[in-house]
Amino acid sequence: MHHIMLDHFAGGKTPVHRLDPAAKTAATLAFILATVLVGRDRFLPLVPVAVALALYHAVGRTPLVYTLKRLLVVSPFALAVVVLFPVLEPGRAVWTLGLGPWTVGVTQEGLVRAGHLAAKFLLCAWATVLLAATTRFQDVLQGLARLRVPRAFVVQLAFMYRYLWVLMDEAMRMRMARAARDGRLGPWRVRFQSHAGLLGVLFLRTYGRAERIYWAMAARGFDGTLHAPVQSRMRVSDWIFVACAFAVGAAAIIWDTVFHG
Amino acid sequence: MADPALELADVRYRYPTGPEALRGVTLAVRPGERVGLVGPNGAGKSTLLLALAGFVPAEGLIRVAGHTLARGTARDVRRHLGLVFQDPDDQLFMPRVADDIAFGPVTMGLPLEEVEVRVHEALHAVDLEGYEQRAPYHLSVGEKRRAALATVLAMRPQILALDEPSANLDPRGRRRLIGLLKCLESTLLVVGHDLDLILEVCERTVVLDAGRVAADGPSGDILSDRALLESHGLELPLCLAAHM
Repeated sequence: MHHIMLDHFAGGKTPVHRLDPAAKTAATLAFILATVLVGRDRFLPLVPVAVALALYHAVGRTPLVYTLKRLLVVSPFALAVVVLFPVLEPGRAVWTLGLGPWTVGVTQEGLVRAGHLAAKFLLCAWATVLLAATTRFQDVLQGLARLRVPRAFVVQLAFMYRYLWVLMDEAMRMRMARAARDGRLGPWRVRFQSHAGLLGVLFLRTYGRAERIYWAMAARGFDGTLHAPVQSRMRVSDWIFVACAFAVGAAAIIWDTVFHG
Repeated sequence: MADPALELADVRYRYPTGPEALRGVTLAVRPGERVGLVGPNGAGKSTLLLALAGFVPAEGLIRVAGHTLARGTARDVRRHLGLVFQDPDDQLFMPRVADDIAFGPVTMGLPLEEVEVRVHEALHAVDLEGYEQRAPYHLSVGEKRRAALATVLAMRPQILALDEPSANLDPRGRRRLIGLLKCLESTLLVVGHDLDLILEVCERTVVLDAGRVAADGPSGDILSDRALLESHGLELPLCLAAHM
């Protein structure tokens, strides 16, 4: 079975694709950190980060539709918070709605807060999407390892990425096998039971697979510590890129503190 | 005569929840010998492989390349025993083929240059050069099988133990695997139901049934004995059945 992988466009040949994965990962962290540190309700200090990301996007030739789709996929997480702010934030009401005994007021302060949160969220998500679009997942992992992220965490991510699709295939095959036997799904109780059974079997299979993978690792000398052949390939261009990313981040924070106190 | 590469004496194992899987297996394999291990489902073939590597705590003597399996020696034993599992998705657990093949040599503590040489050699041996950066998930079944074999070859084990190596392979993939196995110089233990493959690759065949060795001899004799095979739930290899 075929799945669209996260790093579908990572095989490109642009200067951004050629950058060292550790450099790109560090830059992404710098963009995110700067965005998060900008004080509440301030939009202008976010501009340097947005401009830098737009440049990153253009040079990396990431398709706009791809980026928008990815942003859409992750947006529900932020949306829940963003839509509540205009209603929950106290302030000058710009619009009220009567709902029987209750009145819901949308405040100007709430709208600003929601907009600011949405902007921050979009910038952070954009930075991550660009990293994923221009770097193969295994390279991101290597980058994380070289940035001294705990090895257990990196390995966990690697296993997740390796076996996610295998697990999805397994679930899909089981669903197909079930569908092949009942063309029309029965009453909801039967359906629910079969869903529960499927999940249970999937869990058991995953458990069995985990054991076999451990055996395969132990058969090749795994003793609980993970070693990895990691080579540093940071070149001058990579260092310049990281420096620029941190400069943009610094610009955002300085703008924020100098002009807004 | 040289010391056996593999020596088993009265190996027994009972699964905690089930019947006795191994009931006193005694077997010796000479260095360089190629042995096929056949038998019906549930005969204990896969359990025997797990016992060899110390994954199931079997009783009796297990000696691999001169190392006796005991508490604390499993790592030494595994270093000399290259175990290739039935499902290559279990064997290939790293995000990249090259990383997977490097896993064994790296855990052995080899220097980086040596690891690279081994990865290259192993990929060359299984005819997968240029696959270094590929993700195992995207390989075909045949490619996965060969990559799984490469992960073990890179450790240069004295004994290779393969569990159902030709399962799910198309005829071309199977033919390629047979050619590959014939070229290997290490001691070989092939477990499976593909009797034609075993007849072609292994000079000796051991029949395992109900956790015991039921027959042991030259592959030509064992695999052409219709009565013996049928009494253990097997049948003549296709290439012989056509002539008899």
